Amino acid sequence: MTDDKDVLRDVWFGRIPTCFTLYQDEITEREAEPYYLLLPRISYLTLVTDKVKKHFQKVMRQEEVSEIWFEYEGTPLKWHYPIGLLFDLHASNTALPWSITVHFKNFPEKDLLHCHSKDVIEAHFMACIKEADALKHKSQVINEMQKKDHKQLWMGLQNDKFEQFWAINRKLMEYPSEDNGFRYIPFRIYQATTERPFIQKLFRPIASGGQLHTLGDLLKDVCPSAITPEDGEQKTQVMIHGIEPMLETPIQWLSEHMSYPDNFLHISIIPRPTD
Amino acid sequence: CSMADEEDFFLGEKRFKQHCEEFLKHSQQIGDGWEWRTSKDFGDGYLSKTHFQVRNRHIPPDLKEKTSDNIEQTLLAHVEESLDDSQVAGVCTTEEVIRYEYHVLYSSSYQVPVLYFRACFLDGRPLTLDEIWRSVHSCYQDRLLEGPWDTITQQEHPILGQPFFVLHPCRTNEFISAVLTGPWKHNRHKNYIILWLSTVGPVVGLSLPLSYAKVAPEQNS
Repeated sequence: MTDDKDVLRDVWFGRIPTCFTLYQDEITEREAEPYYLLLPRISYLTLVTDKVKKHFQKVMRQEEVSEIWFEYEGTPLKWHYPIGLLFDLHASNTALPWSITVHFKNFPEKDLLHCHSKDVIEAHFMACIKEADALKHKSQVINEMQKKDHKQLWMGLQNDKFEQFWAINRKLMEYPSEDNGFRYIPFRIYQATTERPFIQKLFRPIASGGQLHTLGDLLKDVCPSAITPEDGEQKTQVMIHGIEPMLETPIQWLSEHMSYPDNFLHISIIPRPTD
Repeated sequence: CSMADEEDFFLGEKRFKQHCEEFLKHSQQIGDGWEWRTSKDFGDGYLSKTHFQVRNRHIPPDLKEKTSDNIEQTLLAHVEESLDDSQVAGVCTTEEVIRYEYHVLYSSSYQVPVLYFRACFLDGRPLTLDEIWRSVHSCYQDRLLEGPWDTITQQEHPILGQPFFVLHPCRTNEFISAVLTGPWKHNRHKNYIILWLSTVGPVVGLSLPLSYAKVAPEQNS
């Protein structure tokens, strides 16, 4: 269906207007101007901010510069989470542009993974894809691919090449004709309020009777507090890629069309704005 | 739901917990220091152990040329001792004490246990991935040099949300099947955690006292 392919493009090309400001305690030789950038929702902070780094390093002394890290309203931003997930989870109901603070000192060892090179991002990205395929296909599809196919997934993401990426990724979205979907759905549910970083469990897209499980079924099973209204009022929003999909949506369809390039559905449960 | 085929030696979550319980019982008997930690909001949990290692300060300035010979010669000497907090102070003038914390978690995606660990010096400075790689036991260095990104990497702990090092689980089923098929079929009723941990643990400085091998399996009804 044409509509479904459009969804894949809309997800891939989603952008978040962002304003990067240097942390005030960083020592500079000149005043640091903020830097504006449209961030791809589906990518990772450390993959798309080379220009941000260069911009601020120009006004700093060499000795003052070590590993870059980002923070939003005091919360260190996990570069290994996709950008769209970070925004939905922390800032979706605030005014644009998204204001991110840039740091070069005092790396928060207890909160953030290190990211010394693009290789680290690639390894993380590929590990997620492999885990997703372990859930969907017992790793059969990813293991049958050649190294160059794996490379193509990464290069497609790195260079923002939709066609290049999906030429390979479509194989990861197929399933045997006798089944009606994947073995299990790769998903993670995030809530900023819990200590636990995310919820991930085994969940089948098809019920034993053959019916398609929905997003609502998933939430009821794994995170019931997200959809049971307290005092008759729905206090939370269920957000994927900046939108609230209908709870009746089949989870198999969501997995095929609204997963991130790492093949996971990253779902945010956030407080509903009270205006 | 049943997920294991006969050919796959996957560990279901229920069996993981049972084998951890059995493992813990023995650890308590011999004072090996393992404990079970439950996650606050979810009820799942993991095995945890902390110990201290002393190592000599012979860190070469540059280990960039990584031939097997070089690594053999220049590896840090590992002296494994379990020290109480009370013994640590005053022991090390030319040596460094490193605090290791090991966690055994269950991966529902791969249906195997996974070893998470972190290490820091007594002043709180965490070891870098590079320092971890360099301290891997010499007999595992070849495997590690082939593909460091496949073996030990830094990842977010799925329950605590903090950075830990992880021994990658995607190959676990490969080597566990080697221990459970053919001439080793009798191992299938043994404790999975003990079999698995005695194999992967030494790669990252964690060893199990020999008495674990004698742990008799519970008779399941």
